[in-house]
Parts: sequence; structure tokens; C-alpha cells
Amino acid sequence: MSSPPAARSGPSPLVPLGYLTCAAVAFLAAAMGIGWLAPDLAGHYYHPRLLALTHTVTLGWITLAIMGAGYQLIPIVLERPVWSERLARWQLGILAVAVLGMVAHFYLGTWPGLAAAAGLLAVGIGLHLLNVGLSLRGFTQWTFTARMVMLGYGGLALTTLFGLALATHRLRPFLPGEFFPTLHAHVHLALLGWITPMIFGVAARVYPMFLLAPVPGRWSSRLQLWGLALGLPSVVLGLVGVRGLLVPGALAVATAAGSHAWWVLEVARGRKRPGLDWGLRFTLTATVFILPAVLLGVSLAADLLSGPRVALAYAVIVLGGWVSLTIVGMMLKIVPFLVWYRAFGPRAGREPVPTLADLSWPWLEGAAYALLTGGVGLLAAAAFVGGVGGIRAAAAVLALGALAFVLVLLRILGHLSPRFQKTPVTLVV
Amino acid sequence: MTVSRGQVTEALREVFDPELGMSVVDLGLIYAIEIAAGRVRIEMTLTTQGCPLHGSMTEWVRKAVERVPGVVDVAVDLTFEPPWTPDRIGQGAPL
Repeated sequence: MSSPPAARSGPSPLVPLGYLTCAAVAFLAAAMGIGWLAPDLAGHYYHPRLLALTHTVTLGWITLAIMGAGYQLIPIVLERPVWSERLARWQLGILAVAVLGMVAHFYLGTWPGLAAAAGLLAVGIGLHLLNVGLSLRGFTQWTFTARMVMLGYGGLALTTLFGLALATHRLRPFLPGEFFPTLHAHVHLALLGWITPMIFGVAARVYPMFLLAPVPGRWSSRLQLWGLALGLPSVVLGLVGVRGLLVPGALAVATAAGSHAWWVLEVARGRKRPGLDWGLRFTLTATVFILPAVLLGVSLAADLLSGPRVALAYAVIVLGGWVSLTIVGMMLKIVPFLVWYRAFGPRAGREPVPTLADLSWPWLEGAAYALLTGGVGLLAAAAFVGGVGGIRAAAAVLALGALAFVLVLLRILGHLSPRFQKTPVTLVV
Repeated sequence: MTVSRGQVTEALREVFDPELGMSVVDLGLIYAIEIAAGRVRIEMTLTTQGCPLHGSMTEWVRKAVERVPGVVDVAVDLTFEPPWTPDRIGQGAPL
């Protein structure tokens, strides 16, 4: 008989919910900002206002969502308690102010203020890494998930340092080489060093759990791990100057991404879960975006395609398609659970309580699915073409999808209030 | 009053995993049911180690079985040996 796992000492559900709520607000703001910035998006991507939009997505939406999910999932996937809940709360406040500051200063193009906000962001990220590091003290079970999560946190640290260097460079130029390759290296360090390993690692534990599926063969995990471990440094070094490493690095990353897509397909095929909820549909559909992302990424690395239009379409497919739809799907799984656990968990066993499905708003989730998946596809095409009208139309679809998603979350979060807890009950314990 | 295995299993069918919407019996989480003179021991698992419902699920199982007429005491033991796999879904309660 095994002893109870330590993971039961997870943080209060309000900690991850705070991060995820802030992330959802940033997602909505970014989706609405796309239409506002359509004329800029029809031009070159290196524009202060587009940098504001990009950092709203990468920091406000993606990073806060991953950090929030991390505080919920570390106890589950790594079976370690979170070291300090209080530090996690403080860190969210620091990060929220820092992200707001960075986005505002990018938008206004005021570089000293940007550097100050970037410094504050580095403090917030440093505190997160400290909290995670202390949570994982003495950790010895180096599973695929654990290795990927470690790679992700290492990538986050390096991306932050790289970003700080770029912010300082704006005030007092000191970085060698050309600016754009250095900027591209920062972007790919964030994408391949922080976001991708976190998604690969967490997916390995939670997709089979949610889909009730057996875990496919280990060779896929090895390809994902080694493809990223070799591809990430090769791509980054290739971008900053060692050009010969760029294409092999891109191919290694493509192998990792393709292997992940195959793995997800196998999990979906082997599922025993009857029916897919919208959260899982989002997550599985997101994986489809890996294929065009890989094709465009490798083509850009090999100079088969070039220019700001292709680069923008690539960014939309990767960040808006694969990453954002994955996060939306996972949030539609995690947020109802956290709310249920907080609002109904203590009452379960003593009185009838609802299931997670009862907390949600399925038709609006379906609308969000149609609008967000369609909107991302349209935006990628419009960004590729470069017409302001097309970008505005796609942005409107995306903004409606983001609004539907946020309304679904608000309805779920409303169950935290006693006023809204008289939900139709299907569960009897 | 004697307590039957069928009564206990039926009581367990009312304990659901809130995320999956399936009962602990249908999920194959119940490894053993032992009954002796109104005392019931349940051996069960969870779909994953570190499941956040770790403490709650065992409590729900205990309370559900306590409601069976004739039950005087319930012990719920959690084990992860053997680990749960999706193959256990639909196998029902142990005989």
C-alpha cells in the first residue's frame, strides 16, 4: 500500500485562478488590439505598437497562463508541494504591474520606462523560478515531464536575460551583430526554450489523464526531448551568427514538433473517454496548427520563404494557433476544476453537488471554438496577404471568440460566489 | 443485518469523478471490497498519483458506504499498486 502522495498539499485554488484570470484578460485585450493595430500589422512587424501587442500575448497571456497552470499542475505532474503560496501571490502582483508597464512603454515607444518595467519583470520571473526551484528541492524522478519542465524554466531564465539585454541595448547599444537576428533569437528562445517544453511536458501527463488513454511508445518522447535539446541552441546560435546551425536546428525542432503531433494523435486515437468536451477539442485542434508552423518555420530558416508577411503569418500560426488554442483548451479543463474544488469540494459527500460539466456554458464554448479556430486561420491568411481590411475582419472574428471564451470563464468563476451555487445537480455522493 | 457486496457496489456507483463524470466503479478505481460483520474495507486507487481529489475521493467513498444499512465501520485504503490504467474502465467492481 502506498503512502499518500505529497501532492495533496497544493496551493489554494485561488492562486492559479488569479494567474489564469489575469491571463484571460490579457488574451481578450490582445484579441481586441489586433483590429486596432491592423494598419501596423499590414506593415513590418518591428513596430513599437506591435511589440506591445506581442508582449501582451507572450507575457500577459501565455506566460501568466503557464505560470498559473504550473502552480496547479506541479503538485499533480511532479508530485511536489508548492514551496510558498504567499510568494506566488506577491509574484503575480509584481508580474501584472511589470507586464502592464512593458506593454504601455512599448506602445508609447519610451525606452527608459521599458527598461525599468523589464527589470521589474525580471524580478517577478526570478521569484517564480525561486519558488519553483525550492518546490523541486530534492526532486529525483526525472521523467520526461520533469525534464521538459526543467528545460522550460531554464529557457524562461535565459529568455528573460536576453530580453533585459535587448531593453538595455535600446538605451545603450552594446550587443554585437545585427539587430534583427538578435531579436529573432530572443523570440525563438522564448518559443522553443520556455513555451514549447512546458506544453510538451505537461501534455505528456495530462492529455492521457483527460482523455483516459494509454501513453504511446517512449520513442516519441525521446524525439521530442532530444529534438528540442539540440534544436533550441542550434536555432538560437544560428540566428545570432553561426548560420550553419540554423537549418539543422530548425530540422531538429521540426522533428520534435512532428513527434509531439504524432504522440497527441495516438493519445486521441487510444482514448476511452466517451465524447470530447470543448476544452479537449480546443487542445486537439491546436495540435493541427503544428504542421503549417513547422513548414513555415523550416522554410524561413532555409530561406525558401522570407519577408515580414511570412514571418507574421508564422507568428500567428504558432502563437495564436498552436500555443493559444492549447492554453484555451487547458484553461477550460483547469478553471472549472479549481472552481468546483473550491466551491463544491468541501460539500461533496454531505449533499448533492454538480459535476464540472454543470458549471460550464457548452454552447458558448462551442461558439468560442468556432470563432477562435476560424479567426486564427483567417488572421494567418490575412497577415500573409497584408491587407488592412482582411486583418480587421479576421481580428473581429478573433475578438468575438476571445469575448466568448472570457464570458465562459466568468460564468464558471461566478460559482465561487454563493449566490450562483444553486446549479442543477447531476452528481449524488 | 448482513451487508452484501452488491449493496456496497451500488453505493459506490453514486461516487463520481467530477471531471470525468464516471463513477469510481465504472472507472475501475475499486481494487477490493472486504466485508466482515458490518465492517467494510475498500481498497481503491486514483487515475493518477498526485490527483488533487486524493483526500476528497476517499472521503466520498467512505461516506457513501457508511449509508448502506448494516454498515458499522468503513475503512478506505488508497493504493497505487498496481497503477491504474485506462484498461480498467468498464471492468466494474472486484468480485
